[in-house]
Amino acid sequence: MIKRFPIQGRTLALVVVLVPLLALFIYVALRSGPLAPVPVTVTAVEDRAISPALFGIGTIEARYTYKIGPTFAGRIKRLDAQVGDTVTAGQVLGEMDPVDLNERIQGQEAALKRAQALLSEALARQAYAQKQSQRYEQLLEVRAISEETVATKKHDLQVAEAGLNAAREELARVQADREALIVQRKNLKLVAPVDGLVTARDADPGTTIVAGQAVVELIDPKSLWVNVRFDQIRAHGLAADLPATIVLRSQTVELPQGRVLRVEPLADAVTEETLAKVVFDRLPEPLPPVGELAEVTVALPALPAAPVIPNAAVQQRNGGLGVWQMHNGNLRFTPVILGAADLDGNVQVRQGLQAGDQVIVFSAKSLSARNRITIVDRIPGVKP
Amino acid sequence: MISLAGRDIMHAWGKFVFTGVGLGLLIGITLSMAGIYRGMVDDGKVLLDNSGADLWVVQKDTLGPYAESSSIYDDTWRSIRTMPGVARAANVTYLTMQVRQGERDVRAMVTGIMAGESVAPGWPPYLVAGRQITRGHYEAIADLASGFKLGDRLQIRRNHYTVVGLTRRMVSSGGDPMIFIPLKDAQEAQFLKDNDAIRQQRRRTAENPAFNRPQVPDLLDAVIASQSTNPYVNAVLVRIDSGHAAEKVAESIRRWKRLTVYTRAQMEEILIGKLIATSARQIAMFLVILSVVSAAIVAFIIYTLTLGKIREIAVLKLIGTKNRTIVGLIMQQSIALGLIGFVVGKITATLLMAPIFPKYVLLEPMDSIIGFIAVVVICILASIIAIQAALKVDPAEAIGG
Amino acid sequence: MTGKGIRIEGLRKRYGSGDTAVDALKGVDMQVSPGEVIGLVGPSGSGKSTLLKCLGAVIEPSGGRMILGDEVIYDDGWKVTDLRALRRDKIGFIFQAPYLIPFLDVTDNVALLPMLAGIPNAEARSRAVELFKSLDVEHRAKAMPSQLSGGEQQRVAIARGLVNRPPVILADEPTAPLDSERALAVIRILNDMAHKLETAIIVVTHDEKIIPTFKRIYHIRDGVTYEEAGEGKEFK
Repeated sequence: MIKRFPIQGRTLALVVVLVPLLALFIYVALRSGPLAPVPVTVTAVEDRAISPALFGIGTIEARYTYKIGPTFAGRIKRLDAQVGDTVTAGQVLGEMDPVDLNERIQGQEAALKRAQALLSEALARQAYAQKQSQRYEQLLEVRAISEETVATKKHDLQVAEAGLNAAREELARVQADREALIVQRKNLKLVAPVDGLVTARDADPGTTIVAGQAVVELIDPKSLWVNVRFDQIRAHGLAADLPATIVLRSQTVELPQGRVLRVEPLADAVTEETLAKVVFDRLPEPLPPVGELAEVTVALPALPAAPVIPNAAVQQRNGGLGVWQMHNGNLRFTPVILGAADLDGNVQVRQGLQAGDQVIVFSAKSLSARNRITIVDRIPGVKP
Repeated sequence: MISLAGRDIMHAWGKFVFTGVGLGLLIGITLSMAGIYRGMVDDGKVLLDNSGADLWVVQKDTLGPYAESSSIYDDTWRSIRTMPGVARAANVTYLTMQVRQGERDVRAMVTGIMAGESVAPGWPPYLVAGRQITRGHYEAIADLASGFKLGDRLQIRRNHYTVVGLTRRMVSSGGDPMIFIPLKDAQEAQFLKDNDAIRQQRRRTAENPAFNRPQVPDLLDAVIASQSTNPYVNAVLVRIDSGHAAEKVAESIRRWKRLTVYTRAQMEEILIGKLIATSARQIAMFLVILSVVSAAIVAFIIYTLTLGKIREIAVLKLIGTKNRTIVGLIMQQSIALGLIGFVVGKITATLLMAPIFPKYVLLEPMDSIIGFIAVVVICILASIIAIQAALKVDPAEAIGG
Repeated sequence: MTGKGIRIEGLRKRYGSGDTAVDALKGVDMQVSPGEVIGLVGPSGSGKSTLLKCLGAVIEPSGGRMILGDEVIYDDGWKVTDLRALRRDKIGFIFQAPYLIPFLDVTDNVALLPMLAGIPNAEARSRAVELFKSLDVEHRAKAMPSQLSGGEQQRVAIARGLVNRPPVILADEPTAPLDSERALAVIRILNDMAHKLETAIIVVTHDEKIIPTFKRIYHIRDGVTYEEAGEGKEFK
């Protein structure tokens, strides 16, 4: 290359290229990588009243569910109720097939008649035996027969009386059996015990059912409640009569209100959840289906004003909780004791901070006392 | 005495700087490769740091929870919590899966964290925006690397979650961003399939006569219910009381609970020794190849420059220049080329490659210093060929004919 | 012979060995006094370059004696340990072509030699500029070699040969590329410098334009020299 400028010019050109290069190099070495200061945001501790709340999820359930079915094995003859029907108390929903029941009742009636006949026979025998006994007693008084004969006749009388009792009881038994079968025949009908809504039809006519198996299920729609589960750790303060907001999966526009009816005495030890029942103040229209998921927020009573910090500022160090603060240009970890928190991320500070103190909330890296920091409005990389 | 090398460089400075820039890009790639390796190691370290745990309790004889899948019952933490030396114990689940938001799909490591008052082991130790999770369900904290913002609604399996907080540098050992959701939701996500599969399963169970007995009407419901619950978690994270040695507490858990327990040092070895080992070897090979290529390029350039000066070198030798001076001329040029290359390479690596590379690139000052020394050494060695050629020159060649 | 000047006696040079040996010099005698400018003339293959290389302490002769000033530098073996220092300090070279270092300006091209000998930069440069004045290239002192004309470059090369004030200067076809006016000018400069610096100058040439100017000429043929008195023509 032929250089047209004199030496000074060439040096100048080289300087113009190299110096910015070196400057860039030094900038890169100092400002990026592990030597750079860490951006953080700060906020002031405020004295504020917070309204803590509890959050749980649950399912809609009916308070009372009635499963209606026969008390003995049989076949379904007819079922009038359909799912979704509203029924009244005493309404016949369906009927079981009597099968051989009528024949058995007839049999029992025949047996009853037979028992009655047997009773007559026993009665006749007893009357005769009594007469015989009396007669022979009279004969004994005139010494016409032996005592043994009298004893035999007396014995016969006793036997006849026993036979009569037996026939009487037998008649009673057969009668009772017959009545039992008659009652059973009455029980063939499946009857709604209360007003309600049919929610399930578990078998169709013609199906054979065992005793105790449900054929129709009923609920009382006015008794819908939400069976809610709260994490035990976050269930402090849960009690009856607290107001609740219920968010149903299907309805997110109108939020029905309700209240806690009761906190279940038995918690779920396996999932570590506390159970509670929340009832609606007013049932939503249309009725939500049983089994739908709901999110329930229970509002706890508001607490008096106290120093409050965002929960993002709370960090763990050396086994204790605390916050980072700027103190005379150095980072310092201040241990704190926390109080109640609300669902929006505000937590009360019982000890360690006062209103007006500055705490570090967000940081681009994990902080330690040796870091240099620079205070920014928003951590770089976070879009507004 | 004037600097012959300096004068020569100034005379052909354009060529020099141009070559230096080209070499610099190569060096930049080399530095970036080292940065990628450091980034991978840092991903592993950051994962361990951010979990806030001193011990990891996992299924017996597994390398879990990061290197191998591990399942333990979710009530194991209670018995661990009562052991001496344990300050806190918390369940945690990890599942790498696709997380949807609208039309977008992001691969993330979904981490289930236990409900608690605040910062339990497994929780993100610091945030860059938003707040920690307060509700027991349907809230999420996402890492900036996932691209999600505060208020986004994510879909994980069948549930929707609202992003309430953002973190930075919370990644899995593979570099996938982490998304924190409540543990119970994560257990469900790990286990519950989509609706079609659930229907199939119920149908199969109902057709099985062992489970569907008419005399026992509730048996089928009970079996289906048990199939739909997930009582497992991947690990229990343990924080130790100050004053207790990690290894001793680990040993007592191992002996009495018959689980596998890893201390921080052992987890690091697993993550870095086993997970990253293959990638580390690949990168080491690349580094060697790039260094060899760089050395070859420098050698070639310097040799060419020297050959172009053969006549001048003969004249210099004839008029009495020491061999030492000529060797110095060549070597100084080689080192100057290396310096320009290093400066350009460092700037390229930091300002160009590190921000755009999809994985985390960590450029440590120590690596730059070592790289600098390596560049200088390579330049010195690469100039040997040219030096040999220069030394062989016969001063008599200047006197022609 | 005392003081400066150069003298060789019976210098021999054999290339190769055994059957393929070639005797380039078969016993050369030569003597040049300080201040003298002599010519060395001969056809190619006559051993001219070989003799020059031996004189320049670039190759080792096979036998004979070389005396530089009053120091025996060769007597059937080098008596000097540092040939490079010998070349640097005691022998000046003027080549066929200027062979200037392209990345140094002309002043530094010339000043390089005293700098190599340890002279401080400023003094070395002022020596160079002094010579430029005598050689009429002072106005180009700051230029790079590529910016000079052929003749200017040659004059700078001459300055380089002279700057260390060596006792002997070897000039190899210094006027080959020049026209007769320039050539005579160069010979005049050489004579001036030889006289001023009391240097012995040996000019290898076959340029007809300048041969008449020599007072003494050595002819070399087949490895042997013959002395001849030259015309010693005066030149403008």
